[in-house]
Amino acid sequence: MSLSPPLTLVPAGPAAGTPPLPARHRRWLLWLVAAQVLFVLGVAVAGYATAALGRTITLRTEPVDPRDLLYGDYLRLRYQISELPGSLWRGAAPPRRQQAAYVLLEPRSDGDFEATGIYPEAPTTTGRQAVLRGSVQEVWRRSLRLRYGLERYYVPETMSRRRRQRRRLRVTISVAPWGQARITQVDTLRE
Amino acid sequence: MSRKLLETDGRDWVQRGVISEAQRAQLLTLYPTDDAAIGLLPLLGSLLVGLSALSVVAANWQGLPELVRLGLLLGSLVAAYAGGEYFRRRGNGSLGMGLVALGLILFGASIVLTSQLYQLIGYDLTGLLAWAVAGMGLTWLYRSRLLFLLTAVISGIVQGYNTGQLGAFSYLTAIGTALGLGYYWWRRPDALLGGVLAGGLLWQAGLLINHLHVKITWFFIPAMLIYALGDWQADRPAGRALQGPPLAAAFLFTLGLALFGESDFYAGQLRAPLGPYLAALAAVLAVSLAGKQRRGRLGSATDWLLLLPGFYFTGGLPLAVATLVVLYAYSGSVLVRAHQEHNPDRVTLGTVLFVLTTAVAYFKLTWGFLDKSLFFLLGGLLLLGLSWWLRRRAARTLATSSVPAAPPSASQP
Repeated sequence: MSLSPPLTLVPAGPAAGTPPLPARHRRWLLWLVAAQVLFVLGVAVAGYATAALGRTITLRTEPVDPRDLLYGDYLRLRYQISELPGSLWRGAAPPRRQQAAYVLLEPRSDGDFEATGIYPEAPTTTGRQAVLRGSVQEVWRRSLRLRYGLERYYVPETMSRRRRQRRRLRVTISVAPWGQARITQVDTLRE
Repeated sequence: MSRKLLETDGRDWVQRGVISEAQRAQLLTLYPTDDAAIGLLPLLGSLLVGLSALSVVAANWQGLPELVRLGLLLGSLVAAYAGGEYFRRRGNGSLGMGLVALGLILFGASIVLTSQLYQLIGYDLTGLLAWAVAGMGLTWLYRSRLLFLLTAVISGIVQGYNTGQLGAFSYLTAIGTALGLGYYWWRRPDALLGGVLAGGLLWQAGLLINHLHVKITWFFIPAMLIYALGDWQADRPAGRALQGPPLAAAFLFTLGLALFGESDFYAGQLRAPLGPYLAALAAVLAVSLAGKQRRGRLGSATDWLLLLPGFYFTGGLPLAVATLVVLYAYSGSVLVRAHQEHNPDRVTLGTVLFVLTTAVAYFKLTWGFLDKSLFFLLGGLLLLGLSWWLRRRAARTLATSSVPAAPPSASQP
C-alpha cells in the first residue's frame, strides 16, 4: 500500500462530480426547454382552435354507466356510430383491424348525425355532411367496431355528478378543418 | 477505500505497526466525512413542502380556470429546469440532476393534463413521442445516467400505451430508442446503463411480437441482436451487462417450457417456422461470433448453447428432455468456464443455474412414478449432494487460483 500518490486524487471541491455544461450545450438546453413549453402551448392552442374554427356536430351515445365516475374523473362513451353495420364499408378491400377509417355523417331529422358510409380514404363532402376520422378496432361478420379518440369525457367540476340511471347522452363535437375533433359539450337526453 | 474501514480498522493497523498514528490521521483527512447525509435534510424538507403544494393544487385542480392550470404546469416545468441548472452550477450535482429529471416528468404530465383539459384524446402518438424525444435530448446534453434511465422507461411507457390503448406499434419509438440510447451507451459504455438499455429494448421487442401475433420464439431474433451488440462493445463489463437480460430471458423461457411445456396448449403460438427461424438465428449468430472474434472473446460463444432450438420437439416427454438438455448444456458450460477463469461470481451463478436445472429435471422426470414422500426425500438428497459436490469443486478451484498469485489476466476474455 503506497501512500504518496493519492493526494492528487482527493476530490477538488464540491463541483468535481458535475462539470458545468459548455456554453454551446447551454444554448441547446434553452432551445430544448423552449420547445417543450411551445409544445404544451401548441396542444392548448389546438384545443381552442378546434372549438373555434371547427364544424359542430352532435352525436348520440349508448346509455352511459354513471358508476364510471366512482372509479375516475371521466365517463366512457359508446356512440351509436361506434358500432356500424359492415354494409356501410365503401373500400375496395375488406376492412382490417387497426386500419384508418373515415366515417361520413349526415344529420337526421332530429339534428343528430348518423353514419352513411365508412371509407378507407377521406371522402369528399357536400353541404351538411361531415367526416369523422377513426380506426377499425374489431371486424365481425356483419359489423365493425370503430374508435374515434372521443371515447373519454373528462367531466368538469361544474357538471352535476349525481346521476342515478343509465341515460343516453347527446355529445357536441367540434371537427376542425384539419380533422382533429374534440368534445365541447355533453347533455343528458330525456326519453 | 471507505472512511468507515479506516475508522474501524485503523487503530488495529497502528497497533500492528502497519502504519503510524500520524499516518492514520493523514489517511483520515484524505477521506473527509460525506456531507451527503447533511444535505439530505433540506432535501427532505423541500420535498415535503413540494408535496403539500402539489396536494393543494391537485385537490383544487378541476376548480381552477383553464389558463391558471396551464400557467401552473408551464411555470413548474420551467422552474424545475431552471432550478436544476442553478444547483448544478452551484456544484450540487445530484440535486440539480434530480430537478432536471423532475422537469422531464413534468413535461409528460403537462402534455397529458393539457390534452385532458381540452378533451383532446386523439389517437395519434405525437404528444407522447415528444416526451421521449425530449428525454433523449436531455440525456445527450447532460450525459446523465439518471436521465438515460428515465428516457428508457418513458420510451417503454410510450410503446406500452401505444400498443395497449391505440392498438398500433410505433416503429419510430423503437428505432429511436435503439439508436438514440444505444449509440449513447456505445460511446459511453456503462454496466448499469447496458442492463437498462437491454431491458427497455427487450420490453419493446416483446410488445412487437405480441402486437404482430407472430410465434413467440421470433422474440429471440431481436433479443439476440441486442446480445450481439454486446459482443462488439470494446468495454467488457458494459457488454456483459447488455447481454444479461437477453440471456436471462432465454433461460427463463426454456425453464418455463421444461416445466409446463407438455400441456402444449399454446403450441400454435410457440414455434416459428423452422427454416426461416434457423436462418435468421444463424445470421445473428454470425454477427455475434464475428464480434466475439474481433474482441478476442470466442470463449463466450458457449452462451449460444441456450439458443439451441430444443423447443421444436413436440409433446410431453421429448420436449421436456430436449429443453432440459439445452439448460444443462448452458449451465454446465457456465460452470466449466467459471472454473477455467477462476471467477468466483460466475462459479456461484453457474452453481445456481445448475442446481435449478437439476431440480426442474428431477421434478419433471420422476414426479409421475415416484411415491410422494420418496420423491421429496430423494430430491432433497440429490440437491444436497449436488450442492456439496459443486461447492467442493468451487473451493478447490478458487484455492488453486490463489496459490499462483493472480494468473496473467490477458488470458481472460
